[in-house]
Amino acid sequence: MRLPAVGGPLRWCSETALGLYRSAVLVGLTGVIPAVGLVVGLGGSEVAYSWSDGSTASWFVRALAALGETLMVIVWIAVAAWITHLLVSRTLSQAARQRAEHWLGMRIQAEYRPVPPITRMATGYWWDGKEYHRSEREARRRARMNARFHDPQLQWDGLWAVVAAGAVLPVAALPLVGLVGGLYMTLASGLVGYGIAVMAASLVGAPFAWRIFGPLAARFLGPAPRSLLGRRVEELEAIRADLTQTQAAELERIERGLHDGAQARLVAMGMSMGAAEQLVDTDPEAAKRILADARATSATALAELRSLVRGINPPVLAERGLVDAVRALALDAPVEVTVNSAVPSRPERPVESAVYFAVAELLANVAKHAQASEVTVELGYAKETLTATVTDDGVGGAAASEGSGLSGIERRMTAFGGCLEIESPTGGPTHITVAVPCALS
Amino acid sequence: MRVVVAEDLFLLRDGMVRLVEAHGHSVVAAVDSGPATLDALVNERPDVAIVDVRLPPTFSDEGLQAALAARRVLPGLPVLILSQHVEQLYARELLADGHGGVGYQLKDRVLDAGQFMDALNRVADGGTALDPTVVAKLLGRPMRADPLATLTERERSVLALMAEGLSNAAIAGRLFLSEGAISKYTTTIFAKLGLAADDDTNRRVRAVLTYLGAGGQDDQ
Repeated sequence: MRLPAVGGPLRWCSETALGLYRSAVLVGLTGVIPAVGLVVGLGGSEVAYSWSDGSTASWFVRALAALGETLMVIVWIAVAAWITHLLVSRTLSQAARQRAEHWLGMRIQAEYRPVPPITRMATGYWWDGKEYHRSEREARRRARMNARFHDPQLQWDGLWAVVAAGAVLPVAALPLVGLVGGLYMTLASGLVGYGIAVMAASLVGAPFAWRIFGPLAARFLGPAPRSLLGRRVEELEAIRADLTQTQAAELERIERGLHDGAQARLVAMGMSMGAAEQLVDTDPEAAKRILADARATSATALAELRSLVRGINPPVLAERGLVDAVRALALDAPVEVTVNSAVPSRPERPVESAVYFAVAELLANVAKHAQASEVTVELGYAKETLTATVTDDGVGGAAASEGSGLSGIERRMTAFGGCLEIESPTGGPTHITVAVPCALS
Repeated sequence: MRVVVAEDLFLLRDGMVRLVEAHGHSVVAAVDSGPATLDALVNERPDVAIVDVRLPPTFSDEGLQAALAARRVLPGLPVLILSQHVEQLYARELLADGHGGVGYQLKDRVLDAGQFMDALNRVADGGTALDPTVVAKLLGRPMRADPLATLTERERSVLALMAEGLSNAAIAGRLFLSEGAISKYTTTIFAKLGLAADDDTNRRVRAVLTYLGAGGQDDQ
């Protein structure tokens, strides 16, 4: 609904009308369960209190009976409200979310459980995700029921229904009740002055009363906390899949490196030595040449093993820990790198290794893209979190786009519950921070 | 010479002991752990020690730490450090005290007995014997605002070979120049680095230390 852009009475009228309309809609959305409760409560008390009518027992017994009847009515109201909630809460909450988006531009996402597929077992039974059933129809029905009524989101919507009935409904209904009441006073009770005053107050309040909906919707219409947990599980599953993938790739890389490198060279060496053994008596000169070759091969094999080991677990990291390993990295970097550390002791090995390789990759990135002249690495530990910040005075514009090295680092950090923060305006300077929560021994 | 050997792998330790003894030196202690290394170095005061970086019980850099600790007690105690990997960081720490008598080599160098014994002798004489791979890494270092920036390409390569611990004659052989030319270069290098003339070996060591920016100026 567009509001006229002019001020004055026209605008005021339209705002008031809009407020009244929205109040009415909110009353409709929030009043269903209270209405059912009211009807059941009134009808129930008619029935229940008639039981002890005309009894001539002592006052004590009559009081007990009244108490019992009251409890009975309360039980009926609760049951009716519960059944109503199961049947209408989802619809009403979805409608309320739509209103929130229309009126206030709030995008509230809530996901309801989808109906799971059913599968036929080898035994002939049907599995609905929870239990077995004899017939397909029964399994389908149960799967639908489970998805519909055992959804944590539905219980959460029930809480919204309670909040709405307790807070949104009375406030939103005020202008409407005021208008109707005022009209009644003016026309029927003869309290004309009061009636007009009440109606005027209602009209003044109309543009504001419905706004209680906003903050409460933001608080109670969102996804259920338990489905938040579910989403976290999905995230973690994705991370785990990622990790197993990288681990498999890593093992394959190591295996290939050993198989095609050192292993092959050792075989060649064995063969050379066999040949040298054959020739040593007949042609010692040739044997010497072959042995010299074999020694050169062994040196190459060692160099290959060395670089492979460096890729798995860099020696300084193994011997000295993160801080000195980063210092060694800085010394080997093609640009001038300054390292400052405020890490009091060695973090756990996996975390240490992850942060080390992240910093190594960041420094490699700087050398490749940044055209920087000065690079600083700050290692710090605060609030149970290990941070490494790489700062350079290069061209800036670094971003973790899909498939880039930075997004790879980000993914690996997520696996440790950490994160990557990039601050890199075009023209620099660039600050990239890796943070991983960990406890220091 | 009296030699101490510290290495945890039996085969390698045994091989080195044989090699050293075959060249007519005596091995006064062959040890296989960090604490034992420190004891042997301080008590035996060998003419030269061969020490592996990674030793039990922790398998961190115990050998290196033992060598550094021993040199703090006995400044200039000649130590040849062996490792599967050479790291600039460790090279700097070894050279930081400025006393020379330091070697830092890949274990593979033991395969070439002649070169290995050469390096051992140079270290025992108070010179340096750095692995070419360390030196190559140092050459790849960014230029800082230091006297090194004033050296020409040729002077830098002479200095690099000096850091490996070669004599003028050997450097001349590597660069296909006359020995006279090399000694001219070394004189210029000493002048540019502002090293006063005292005994030549010491000056060579100090040139190398300058070259390494020893003292670990950039990581304090």
